[in-house]
Amino acid sequence: MAKMRERKTAIVQCFGNCGNRDGFTGGKTAESCEQAAEKCRGDKAVCQWGCLGGGSCEAVCRLGAIHVGSRGIAEVDHEKCVGCGLCVGACPRNLIRLTTWEYPIYPACVSEDEGSGTREVCGTGCTACGSCVRNCPVDAISIIRHHAVIDQEKCIACGMCAVKCPRGAIRDMNGIFTVREEKVKI
Amino acid sequence: MSRTYYFTVNGIERSTDQNKPLLRYLRDDLHLHSVKDGCSEGACGTCTIIVDGKAVKSCVLTTRLAEGRDIITTEGLTEKEKEAFVYAFGSRGAVQCGFCIPGMVMAGKALIDRVPDPTEEEIKTALKGNICRCTGYKKIIEGIQLAAAILRGDAKIEEELEKGDEYGVGKRAFRVDVREKVLGYGEYPDDVEMEGMVYASAVRSKYPRARILDIDFSKAMELPGVLTVLTAEDVPNNKVGHLQQDWDVMIAKGSITRCVGDAICLVVAGTREILEKAKKLVKISYEELQPVSSIAEAMAEGAPKVHSKGNLCQSRHVTRGDAKKALANSKYVVTRKYTTPFTEHAFLEPECAVAFPYKDGVKVLSSDQGVYDTRHEISIMLGCDPEKVVVENKLVGGGFGGKEDVSAQHIAALAALKVQRPVKVTFSRQESINFHPKRHAMEGTFTLGCDENGIFTGLDCEIYFDTGAYASLCGPVLERACTHSVGPYCYQNTDIRGYGYYTNNPPAGAFRGFGVCQSEFALESNINLLAEKVGISPWEIRYRNAIEPGKVLPNGQIADCSTALKETLLAVKDVYENNPGRAGIACAMKNAGVGVGLPDKGRAKLVVHDGKIELYSAASDIGQGCATVFIQMVAETTGLGREKIINMGANSEIAPDSGTTSGSRQTLITGEAVRMAAADLDRDLKEAGGDLKELEGKEYFAEFFDPTDKLGADVPNPKSHVAYGFATHVVILDDEGRVKEVYAAHDSGKVVNPIAIQGQIEGGVLMGLGYAFTEDFPLKDSVPRAKYGTLGLMRSTQIPDIHAIYVEKEELLPFAYGAKGIGEIATIPTAPAAQGAYYAMDHVLRTKLPMENTYYSKKQKAVK
Repeated sequence: MAKMRERKTAIVQCFGNCGNRDGFTGGKTAESCEQAAEKCRGDKAVCQWGCLGGGSCEAVCRLGAIHVGSRGIAEVDHEKCVGCGLCVGACPRNLIRLTTWEYPIYPACVSEDEGSGTREVCGTGCTACGSCVRNCPVDAISIIRHHAVIDQEKCIACGMCAVKCPRGAIRDMNGIFTVREEKVKI
Repeated sequence: MSRTYYFTVNGIERSTDQNKPLLRYLRDDLHLHSVKDGCSEGACGTCTIIVDGKAVKSCVLTTRLAEGRDIITTEGLTEKEKEAFVYAFGSRGAVQCGFCIPGMVMAGKALIDRVPDPTEEEIKTALKGNICRCTGYKKIIEGIQLAAAILRGDAKIEEELEKGDEYGVGKRAFRVDVREKVLGYGEYPDDVEMEGMVYASAVRSKYPRARILDIDFSKAMELPGVLTVLTAEDVPNNKVGHLQQDWDVMIAKGSITRCVGDAICLVVAGTREILEKAKKLVKISYEELQPVSSIAEAMAEGAPKVHSKGNLCQSRHVTRGDAKKALANSKYVVTRKYTTPFTEHAFLEPECAVAFPYKDGVKVLSSDQGVYDTRHEISIMLGCDPEKVVVENKLVGGGFGGKEDVSAQHIAALAALKVQRPVKVTFSRQESINFHPKRHAMEGTFTLGCDENGIFTGLDCEIYFDTGAYASLCGPVLERACTHSVGPYCYQNTDIRGYGYYTNNPPAGAFRGFGVCQSEFALESNINLLAEKVGISPWEIRYRNAIEPGKVLPNGQIADCSTALKETLLAVKDVYENNPGRAGIACAMKNAGVGVGLPDKGRAKLVVHDGKIELYSAASDIGQGCATVFIQMVAETTGLGREKIINMGANSEIAPDSGTTSGSRQTLITGEAVRMAAADLDRDLKEAGGDLKELEGKEYFAEFFDPTDKLGADVPNPKSHVAYGFATHVVILDDEGRVKEVYAAHDSGKVVNPIAIQGQIEGGVLMGLGYAFTEDFPLKDSVPRAKYGTLGLMRSTQIPDIHAIYVEKEELLPFAYGAKGIGEIATIPTAPAAQGAYYAMDHVLRTKLPMENTYYSKKQKAVK
């Protein structure tokens, strides 16, 4: 395996499953992110926070390391990604951030809707239930604006939050602690 | 719906149909005991394994999530890797108690597999999730670097080092327990498995103070697999206690609990799973009562009595000369009030014991600081002859004072006798936090005076200790706080009043420093204020007052020839003065040996058996390394190599009582007994022309006792302690207030093991920094709020550069080759030095620990 010294990588803080989105076809939407955003603006049946699937990130990536995949959301190919950050700036919803391999655990949802609202429009989003907060051994997680936020200074990447998350909304880049794939099928 | 989960462990395909934490599967089903259970909460890292190339905590991962994955534990390392880690960790001194070590090895291996030449920073990051409470991480980081170098082929294993032909005092001795601890086959009590063994655990109080109205365990008894449920009625004598027997084994129906750690009944069941289910079925009715949660509440008129005698547990009055007059006539006087918190030992191995019927009594496999103490407490509980109780220590995964009192041992013994089977009692991490005695929280007012030249004139202080629900070692700890509140200086007017109060908080007792961490923090902080008034530097005022050989300590004892405080001050002078505005300094002294008139005896027996020397001495090695030190003493005396000398461990049936691992005493007190016995053996060996076989079957017993005077003895210069260690620490901050470097200069007499002493100092310093900045033990109405992961234990990424310096003088004490203890003192001067550094930086005197408004206390920003 390649050396990962100081290597950063992008993560997308949304895991999709907003299958009720208008025009969604199980692949990249025909529209740009901006068009998709405009179309669903104010629509209560559609998540206003998640990935739009328009591929703004894909368009700017020079390494082909990010694609809108079968889940209709941007997915990072961590083998290719070098953490340059171009996609971070391109995402109109600021969903992409850079992390290092030492911190592979991340909440894949930044929805600011209340838990019940998120539950209505998404099968994988954070409902702010607080299970991760209770189970984090180092008190690194708080619920801020209705979603889990990990304080990386405190996080020891143990994966407990990912294992305990009932919605699989907290994910592990390595895939080891990520749970309930069967529950998050579209 | 049952499913089978398949995965590979150490190259072998395994499957299970139970979905449970992988840690439990590896330990209980596959008996891979290198995977240690330190918390089962994901916080400590002792259970770290490698899953698909990544270091993972096995308590977090489940068998279901492990499906299809490739798992490696320490047992599954290649021979080359095993040898590399054993040698690297041993030669660098990375191993102390050893409980964190297999996890560290796995985290290290996962990193090395990815990055064959990791930098120090990369190693620190890779170890962020692994706590070590002994070493201060530095030696572990060096060990991983060396292991990486060996695996790359850039460094070689010196086989001679582990073999130890040169093993005498002052030699780089490879600890005797490195191999078993690195590879994880060494047994701690929780690794013991016995035929027919069952499990017991106490149901503990929900409230710190409540009357037990009823205990209904009928539902638990109905559960198949439950053997019995015991209550106070089943205990022959329901009291234990290290010195004062004030600790109820279980709180009886109708009685009032004293803290949340109190046991109410003890469930014994066939398996861990049934035990947990059964505990939940026990219904206890409480009448909740208002707890006594602070010293002030305990002192208040009409306060509820935690114990029938009242809330004042212990008091001491230490006085010499006329402090009042001396202070009244002093040119400068400062008075300040200081507050320090409870501190949790947070040793990596939670309490565990296995007991089984043995001969006409019971045997206990234990993890404690004194097998004879444990035997004594159990025999009191059982109301039997102490000889009927045998206590043997397995490996001890850290103690720091927190394993002096019985915890799991006595209830395991009780249950084993009841069910006539082997019984294992293992504390959960939270149970450990709630139960065992902490470092006392202190509130103290200190008044120190000096003349125009900064020469100290007198000290007046009043020290209040919160000893929580039980006395534990309150008396001696309070006494050491009082006797050492004077510091390592020479002035003759002191008036020190100490009070220890019972509350409904968790109990407080012994903890590395033994009361002195609290009082020297206060004293050393006051000294800086006096230096300012006099107009001299904090270094200068200490040097002017420093004790020297032949001068009289404030307690009246004449400093012995080995005293080297001034040498430690000189060792850090330049570094202190070269960092103006960023450096803080503090001195400390700490007794080695229990002293104060007590019969503090070291005993050792050497037996020549099968051409080797067997060493019998019941002195607990809790990770500090005394088992190795004793062998070095024998090696030094006889000239024999390590392979000829075997330490038979701490076992009350075969080894003579050599006292508690407390008071930094083992190296000196037991070490001298070992040296004496070895000297006798050596005389015969010389006569036999150096042929050990000639001595086959011979025994050599020695007892060492150097009498001391009791506190307040009516002699002009009472000798309180056999020896004192001295130290000066300098803490240096960077511009943000982060600790950049610590220089820790120590006088511990002759250094027995130069590898081990560095780790002792570094670990002590890091513990001291935790005390200064990050560690706390918050309570809400007497209920602990902290989990293991939120205690504020320093992690590998937070460590500064710690420089361990030891000054060795020509003049030494005539005992144990001149060695004095290092165990406790390493942790004492750090917090006041850190306080001094902050005072130098921003001129705010922080009188409370952990200090407020520092780099460490500022809320770290959350990322989004």
